[in-house]
Amino acid sequence: MVSNHDRELIRNDIHSRGAKLSAAERENILRPYLPDPSDLRRRPSQRHKKAHRRTPVRTFVKAQIHRVAYTFVHIFFGIIYRLMQSYHAVVDRICAIIYYHHRTPELIRKDVKGLKRLPEHLSVILSLRKEEDALTVLMDEIAELAAWSASAGIPVLSVYEKTGALKSCIPVLHRVIMNKMCFYYGSPTEQPMLRLFAPHHPVFEQPQQAFSRNRSSDAFLTVLLLSATDGRETFVDLTKTLAEMSQGGKLAPQDITMELVDAEISEITTQPTRPLSPTMGEHNRTSGPLRLVAKPEPDLLLVFGSFLRLDGYPPWHIRLTEMFCTGGRSCGTNTSEEAVEYHGFLRGLWHYAGAQMRFGR
Amino acid sequence: MSTSIHLSRFRKWLLASPPMEFVIAQLRELLVGAIRQGPVPQHIAFVMDGNRRFARSHGIETVEGHNMGFEALARILEVCYKSGVKVVTIYAFSIENFKRSKFEVDALMEMARVKLSQMAQHGEILDRYGAKVRVLGRLDMLKPDVLAAVNRAVEMTSGNGERILNICFPYTSRDEITGAIRDTVSAYSQPLPADRPSVASQRTPFSETHITQNIRAQAQHTKADDPPSDIETASESSGEDGSLKTHHSNQVYESGSSFSSSSTLHLGGQTDAANGRENSPRKERAVYMSPETITRQTLTEHMFTGDNPPLDLLVRTSGVERLSDFMLWQCHEETEIVFLDVLWPDFDLWHFLPVLLGWQRRISKAKKNPDAEGDFDGESYEPAEDSNGKIKGL
Repeated sequence: MVSNHDRELIRNDIHSRGAKLSAAERENILRPYLPDPSDLRRRPSQRHKKAHRRTPVRTFVKAQIHRVAYTFVHIFFGIIYRLMQSYHAVVDRICAIIYYHHRTPELIRKDVKGLKRLPEHLSVILSLRKEEDALTVLMDEIAELAAWSASAGIPVLSVYEKTGALKSCIPVLHRVIMNKMCFYYGSPTEQPMLRLFAPHHPVFEQPQQAFSRNRSSDAFLTVLLLSATDGRETFVDLTKTLAEMSQGGKLAPQDITMELVDAEISEITTQPTRPLSPTMGEHNRTSGPLRLVAKPEPDLLLVFGSFLRLDGYPPWHIRLTEMFCTGGRSCGTNTSEEAVEYHGFLRGLWHYAGAQMRFGR
Repeated sequence: MSTSIHLSRFRKWLLASPPMEFVIAQLRELLVGAIRQGPVPQHIAFVMDGNRRFARSHGIETVEGHNMGFEALARILEVCYKSGVKVVTIYAFSIENFKRSKFEVDALMEMARVKLSQMAQHGEILDRYGAKVRVLGRLDMLKPDVLAAVNRAVEMTSGNGERILNICFPYTSRDEITGAIRDTVSAYSQPLPADRPSVASQRTPFSETHITQNIRAQAQHTKADDPPSDIETASESSGEDGSLKTHHSNQVYESGSSFSSSSTLHLGGQTDAANGRENSPRKERAVYMSPETITRQTLTEHMFTGDNPPLDLLVRTSGVERLSDFMLWQCHEETEIVFLDVLWPDFDLWHFLPVLLGWQRRISKAKKNPDAEGDFDGESYEPAEDSNGKIKGL
C-alpha cells in the first residue's frame, strides 16, 4: 500500500516522461515498501541464517498470527460461500419452475425471441460421470441440448466430452436424439434435419429423412462431437506431419504460417472426413441450404460445472468465444458435475445476448 | 447527488489519512501472509482489461488510464509475489492492438520503453529480490528503441531465478502456437551430428536391416505375398506398434485434409514420396530425430512459457468473458478461468482475495478427497500440509 504522498511524486514523474526523478531518488521513495530481503526465501547463505536467528521470536509469532488469520479467513469465506450457494440453489429452483420448456419448441422460441443475438455455433463442455449408466445419461443430456438448440434456432451445436466415449456410438446417439426430437416436435416431418459427426468420422444422417420431400420444416441442426484428442493431440499430429515433410525437404519451416495452421486445424473440426456414400455427397452438394461446413469458431461456450475450466478443450478456435459457466463464479457444489438444465442453457443465451437476467444472479 | 460527492470526498480523505493508511497496510500484510499459509497458485495470468473504459468513465485521457492500469499492476504484483506466486504472466499488448489509433499505440510503446528503462536502472534491487522479467511475443514488430529497452531489461534480469514476470508484449496465442510448431519442425529438421547415430542405435538395439532380412526370409519361406514396403515403414522407428498406429492416424489426417489440398500443399502424395525415399538405406543420408517422438510436452516446451509451471489461474477483468487470443494453449485441464466485473485500474487485493480463497478452498478439498473434484494430481505445496486440517470445519 503506497501512501498518497509518494504516489503523487511518482505520478508527477510519469507525467514528465520519467525525467523529474533520478534513479537514486526513485529508489529512496521505493525503499520503505520493499520487504526486508532476509524475509525472502533465497539461497541459504550465511547472512540469511544469521538474520533469522536475530529475530526468532518475532518470526515465530508472525507465522502463528498468519496461520490463525488463514484459518479465520477461510472459515469466514466458507460461511459466505455456503450462504451464496444456498441462495443460488433457491434461485435455481425458482428459475427452473418459471422457465420450463414443457417439451414445446414454441415455448423455447418464445423464451429466446427477445434476444438481440443468438450464437451461430454453441459449444458445450460435458463430463462423463462415474456411475454405471453414465453414457446413457450423457446421451440423454446431449439429446436435450440438441432439442433446445434446434428449437431456439441455433444451427450448430458442438459437444465436448473429454474421453471421446461418444464417438464410438454415433448411430446410437443419433437415434437417441431423434427420439427426443419426436417428444418435442411430434411428427417426423416437423423435425429439423439432424446431422451428426465427429472429426475423422463420416457424417451421419438418416437417408430416408434426407430424401423425404414433404417436409414442413427446413431447419437443420449439426451436432459435432469433440474430445480431448481433437485438441492438443491434433497439433502434435500436424507437427509430426510437418516435421516429416521438412525432413524430406518438402517444406521449409518458414512456410509454416498462421494461415496454414488455421486452414489445417479448421478442416478437421468443420468438415466430416467423407460422406457416408457418394450419392449422399451428391445430395449434400445439390441441396442449396444445406451447408456442409460448420462455423469453426464457437460463439458461446457453455460450461455445466461449478467453475470455469476448459478441461482440455481444443485450443485453437476459442480465442473469441464467449464463455459462460452455469455454476456462477463463486458458488458451486461439491460434486463437480452439475446437471444439464434448461434454465442454465437459457441463462447462457441471455448472457450472450447481453440481456439482463430477469431473476436474480 | 451532492451528498454522495461529499461522502465520497470524505471517504477519500479518511482513507488517505496516515493512521488509516497504516491500518490498511497492516491489514493487507496480514491477509497476504495468511494466503501464504495455504496452497498458492504457482502461475497466474492476468488480462489487464478496462483501462480505456476506466479513462472514459472518469473523464481522463486514455493514456492516463493506462498509467493507472500500470499502478494497479504494481499493486497486484506485490500481492502475488509476496504470497508466493512464482510466475505472473500479463497480457500487455496484443498484435491486434496495433490496429488502434496511432496516438495510443505510440503512447503505450513510450510507456513501455520508459518503464523498462527505469527498471533497468534499478538492476540491483531487482537482483536482490530475484525477479526475472521476460517479454514474450513478436519482438520483431517493435520499434528499435523499445526493442533496445526490452532487451536491456531482459538481459539484466536473466540471471535472477525464483520469481518471473512474463510480459506478453506484441502477443497472440495463435501466433505463439504457430511459432512453437515452426520451432519444433525446424528443431527436428536439423540433422543429428555425425557421431550421434551410435547414440540412436543404442536406443534401438535391433538392427533394422537385420529385421528386414528376417522378414524377407520368412516371407519367402511361407510364400506369402505381403507387400514388403508396409513392413519396412513399420520397422523404421524403434517402437513398431506405435509407428504403425501413428502412421495410420497420419493417413486419416491426410485424407481429411486433402479436401482442399489445392489451397495448401499436396500432403498426400508428397509424404508418400517421402516415405518411399526413407525406405532407401539411411546410412548415406542425414539422420534426423524421429518425428514420432513429438508429443504434447515437446510443443509445450516450445511455447514461450515452456519452462514455467502450468497455468493455475487466469484472471480477466472488466467483465468481458473471452480469452481474446491469450494463453489458449496454456489453459490446460486444471486452469481455472475467472472473469471479474471490475475495471483493471480498480483491481486490487479486495477483488483478488475471493478468487484466491476460492482456489485455495477448491484445491484443499480436491486434495482431501481426490474423487470429488476432477483429478487434481496435486503438486506438493509444503506449507499447506500442516494448515490443511484447520479448515476441516468448513
